[in-house]
Amino acid sequence: MDGGIAVIGAGGFVGARLLEMAVLGGRTDVVPVVRAVRSMGRIAQLGLAYRVGDAGRPDSLASAIAGCEVVVNLTKGDAREILSTTENVHAAAVAAGARLLVHLSSAAVYGAAFPADLPDDAPPLPGHWMPYAREKGRAENFLRTRMGDPSLSIVVLRPMLIWGPGSPYVLGTATSLIDGSAWLVGDGSGICGLMYVDNLVRAILAVAAHPAPSSAFFHVGDDETTTWAEYYAALASGLCVDPSTIHRLPAGAYRPRVGDLLDGVRGSDAYRWLKDRVPLETRAGLKLRIARARSRGATSGRTVKSSPAVTRELWNLQTIRHRLPTGRFAATFPATSTTSFSAGMASSLTWLRFIGIGDAAA
Amino acid sequence: MRRAATLDLAVVGCGAVVERLYRGALRALEARGVARVSALVDPDPARTSALGQHFPAARAFSTLADALAARRVALVIVTSPARLHAEHAIAALGAGCHVLCEKPMTIGVTDAERMVAAARDAGRVLAVGMTRRMYPCVADAREVISSGTLGTDLRFVHREGLVYEWPVATDAAFRMATAGGGVLVDLGSHALDLESTLLGALRVTSYADDAQDGGVETNCRVELTGPVARGVAQLSWNQPLVTALHVTGTLGELILDPRQVGALRWRRHGDAWNTRVSTATWPSDLALRGARGMPRHHHDCIYYQIVAVLRAIVHGESVPADGLDGLATARSIEACYARPQPLCLPWLTDAEQTRMDLRHHGRERWTAA
Repeated sequence: MDGGIAVIGAGGFVGARLLEMAVLGGRTDVVPVVRAVRSMGRIAQLGLAYRVGDAGRPDSLASAIAGCEVVVNLTKGDAREILSTTENVHAAAVAAGARLLVHLSSAAVYGAAFPADLPDDAPPLPGHWMPYAREKGRAENFLRTRMGDPSLSIVVLRPMLIWGPGSPYVLGTATSLIDGSAWLVGDGSGICGLMYVDNLVRAILAVAAHPAPSSAFFHVGDDETTTWAEYYAALASGLCVDPSTIHRLPAGAYRPRVGDLLDGVRGSDAYRWLKDRVPLETRAGLKLRIARARSRGATSGRTVKSSPAVTRELWNLQTIRHRLPTGRFAATFPATSTTSFSAGMASSLTWLRFIGIGDAAA
Repeated sequence: MRRAATLDLAVVGCGAVVERLYRGALRALEARGVARVSALVDPDPARTSALGQHFPAARAFSTLADALAARRVALVIVTSPARLHAEHAIAALGAGCHVLCEKPMTIGVTDAERMVAAARDAGRVLAVGMTRRMYPCVADAREVISSGTLGTDLRFVHREGLVYEWPVATDAAFRMATAGGGVLVDLGSHALDLESTLLGALRVTSYADDAQDGGVETNCRVELTGPVARGVAQLSWNQPLVTALHVTGTLGELILDPRQVGALRWRRHGDAWNTRVSTATWPSDLALRGARGMPRHHHDCIYYQIVAVLRAIVHGESVPADGLDGLATARSIEACYARPQPLCLPWLTDAEQTRMDLRHHGRERWTAA
């Protein structure tokens, strides 16, 4: 295919929606590129031709994106692979002669404390505590060094919190609201930097449609500013959850919890080494024992589920005081954030009922 | 008590299903002297070689015909791609072997009928891998429902879904021509069988899915009705559905997680939930009054299922699910695909939904009909 758009990471949340919007929008020039064939299961309803390309191997990627003039990098994967994957995608785009690389980064690279007027090309926070954010930042730094190449434009998009039907932020929040473990820091006035998934897809496609975009970084997000309290309240209302059940945690410095320790263990090489060697049957048995132990706790009167499930990542997100300025993107590309907060919330709530959350029939 | 002779098995298709699901059970059967894997069949020698490392008595074959000519086996376990199930099962039955066929038993009713006829003509066992029938919670749910605890006028909502992650080597599962369908064939084979196991015969009254030109459905919704119950099954390959079978009657309700072997809750209306502690056990070996055990997880259920099939061969006991059960499921699936409606997907814009309706594969089928 000549002139097409290769979507690397097409089996993910954003990639799947991008493919769906493109196909149902009548486009035939978007090519899903997946690392493993199983990723096509998520979009098998579309009946698309696809290509297999491993972002861990530049040669494999280059042939997968051959003939495409735009490459969209939506790969996620392991945090430790973000930089190498980005390097490989870039190398493949160069090798394939693409004119544009659209790279999805994250506003997480700035941590929670940044000024309201943070420029789009501000460098990432060095040494971020969260591996994902730190590696996303390193990937940005790498792309920054390649932006001088006139043959390949590089556009980096930085959304903060991608939400909408299918988003873990919608599902996780809805689940916590229903089981009573939802929480807000202080009065919930922290800024919830939302970007509705359809708005993000439209932003990506707008960049791809630009005939000659200059290499640049862009903050992107929904047009409206929403606080965490407003976001939770809207979801709670749609799910008929009493908002007074949302735990209010005193604002202040984050105090590390047991879960942080477990996350550290799960991210370690030793854990992965062990996990790869434990037979499936044994893992299934262990999971069952843990589940039984938890259910014993639940039935013994301890309020396991109603405790606030605090994570450092969500705490930091809730303590953000500003939304990133998105004016530069809006001035460069046509209006893309056309789905409003209320419309996005309505779709999200309908989706939650579709999957069985808040559905009276279930 | 005389120990039963070890039975020889052949495995046809040495891909992910065997690697991830059957291997442990087959090794346990060998370790306990119940059965021995003597033939591994797959056109890919790398697969038979990798699997063969776990089964020292097994010889590798590239075709089932070669295996049946060289080895005398009692049971052939068919784990090849679904489109080959009928061919492999009928060949094995014709050679005098008994067959345990993975789900879906076939793509289409015609092949299912051929398999049932072949088993009948050969006088051999044809079992279908409906492993969930071995779940203790399913046995318990059956008891709760049949005892009348839930009352009458049973209604059910059955949801199963998550993002597809089975490690397929090819895209055969995502093509109508090779898979015969998508999530309905895959998860639906289990779901429809589970519903009929618990709630009796059910008839498809309507069906909607999201399959578009050249694709297979990743979301579907089936409405079913029967003499005892009626309800809805919703399945997905790309949405994290709240997976559960929820049955409500005039007197009470029951919730079963079809992915957990021991998860069952039930209650009378207005009462607190009962968490059922299962006592269901299955024979662990071929001895007539031998040991019994309770499965702890899905892999255990595969072990007990194979034992049950071997006992059917040796003692004439019934199998958990036979060819007629597989045929019934194939008929339900075919009834769904006979007249599919476009599914309404709540995340689509109006324009997208209209476009999806136009691209829906059902239009092609109706036009062709």
